[in-house]
Amino acid sequence: MPLGIIFKRALRDIRQNLVTHVMTTIVVALTCLVFIFFSVFSLNLQRIADHFGKELAIVVYLKKDMPQDKIPSLYQKIVGMDGIESVRFVSSEEAFKRLEKYFKDEKEVLEGVDPLFLPPSFEIQIDRAVYNPGRVRSIAQKFADWPEVQKVQYGKEWVDRLESFSKAVKAAVVASAVLLLVMAAFVVSNTIKLTVYARQDEIEIMRLVGATNGFIQGPFLLASFLQGVSGSLAAIVAGLFCYEYVLNIITQTELIKSLNLQFLPPLYMLTIVLVSGIFCVAGTAMALRRFLTL
Amino acid sequence: MLSGDQSVIELREVQKKYAPDIVALEEADLTISKGEFVFLTGPSGAGKSTLLRMLYKAEEPTGGSIIIDGVDLSSLSKSQIPQLRRKVGVIFQDFKLLFNKTVFENVALSLEVLGLKKNQLSSRVRQVVEGVGLSDKLHRKVVQLSGGEQQRVAIARAVVNRPPIILADEPTGNLDRKRTTEVVALMEELNARGATILFATHDENLFTDTHRRVLRLKDGKIEEL
Ligand SMILES: Nc1ncnc2c1ncn2[C@@H]1O[C@H](COP(=O)(O)OP(=O)(O)O)[C@@H](O)[C@H]1O
Ligand SMILES: [Mg+2]
Repeated sequence: MPLGIIFKRALRDIRQNLVTHVMTTIVVALTCLVFIFFSVFSLNLQRIADHFGKELAIVVYLKKDMPQDKIPSLYQKIVGMDGIESVRFVSSEEAFKRLEKYFKDEKEVLEGVDPLFLPPSFEIQIDRAVYNPGRVRSIAQKFADWPEVQKVQYGKEWVDRLESFSKAVKAAVVASAVLLLVMAAFVVSNTIKLTVYARQDEIEIMRLVGATNGFIQGPFLLASFLQGVSGSLAAIVAGLFCYEYVLNIITQTELIKSLNLQFLPPLYMLTIVLVSGIFCVAGTAMALRRFLTL
Repeated sequence: MLSGDQSVIELREVQKKYAPDIVALEEADLTISKGEFVFLTGPSGAGKSTLLRMLYKAEEPTGGSIIIDGVDLSSLSKSQIPQLRRKVGVIFQDFKLLFNKTVFENVALSLEVLGLKKNQLSSRVRQVVEGVGLSDKLHRKVVQLSGGEQQRVAIARAVVNRPPIILADEPTGNLDRKRTTEVVALMEELNARGATILFATHDENLFTDTHRRVLRLKDGKIEEL
């Protein structure tokens, strides 16, 4: 296959119909942008769920008036239970220090507050291997019955909800990906069809002097591949700019910084570009097959 | 059948009907050997163009078989058609030129489809364009040329890739006496270099004093003159 000639012809087709081709590329870019938006959203939702999901903790708040000397035996009791990975005792003082750290610059709000106003607690990590939401609940339930315990906080049920929400979003992303790519391919193949119309005489003559199908279709397929690739690349650049912009606004807070939000991983971006190119070529190939038969 | 010689074009009881009831060819039989120069004549509408079109598979016969260079055309798949057309240089009655392209670009097309690059094909193109007397118009657009000049561009494009078979459909139809003689001479020259030539024309003057074989299409059949 004479690639040089095919390249030249593809570029000529694009040049001679620049406005249509640019418009098409923009449509492809917008389509990809929608997909990228969904992807970034879904990806980071998953990250947030993972981030909090890692803290598979049960916090057991003890009654403030509970005698200190009971703590070691409680500790032993907890460590001895099934499915417990680690246990950590957090005294009232330590809890207060954490609070101070959390407020950092606005520490003053805690001024005059009794450093012991927070209850002491055990922070219990559940063994990841045995983790499931029902299990965490049943373990937590046991602590609630102990007389020394004031309150049990557990479960991170919202993490579970977030996780299932993020799964739903992921499914939506996959579905939208197919839909959007089909759309992009449709738009591109139609533009190419217009080019083919404009070149019908030339195509007929090329056939008569012995051009192969590959020679005739090559430039059209290449042009659509270029559109798919450049459209998706443009979308990635635009998406990255939007992302950075939004991030700059929202990462003023410590909490969001700690989430380590991210744009799409490189491999993901590469996949978008390639898949977009391939879909556009496939759409065009299908359009041409019906169109460019003798 | 001609004995001994290798036949490059062979028609066996070829029939071509156009719907609903136009019969262009009926039981046409013909054998042309390698290196022959054959005139095909007959009045306008006799079916000359139809016959030629079937030889490069732009049209299918409705009956009989056509064999080019030993290959039955009905057995050719679509993907094999380009190979056939590279073997058969056609000078089309209606030229089939790209009018908004230059002479050079039009002639070069026959070589480009073979995968040749510009630097590989350009000297060959110049040479052939010179052969048809259009050197000074090499970079003119075809639309700016006269009918006779366009005809010669069509001839140049048909022969530039040195096809072993040349089908000429009224290649002198738009030319004056002098140019006509030149074109016939050009065909003679290509024939002398080994090309088999089938020259369709309604102009009897072209072959009145020739020693060449002349075929006439009459009532859908081929007669030897
Ligand atoms: N595509 C077509 N559809 C219908 N009839 C056609 C077609 N092409 C040619 N014909 C008819 O076939 C006959 C032969 O035409 P043609 O081969 O062009 O003759 P010639 O080239 O000898 O002048 C004519 O009657 C013409 O009207
Ligand atoms: Mg004719």
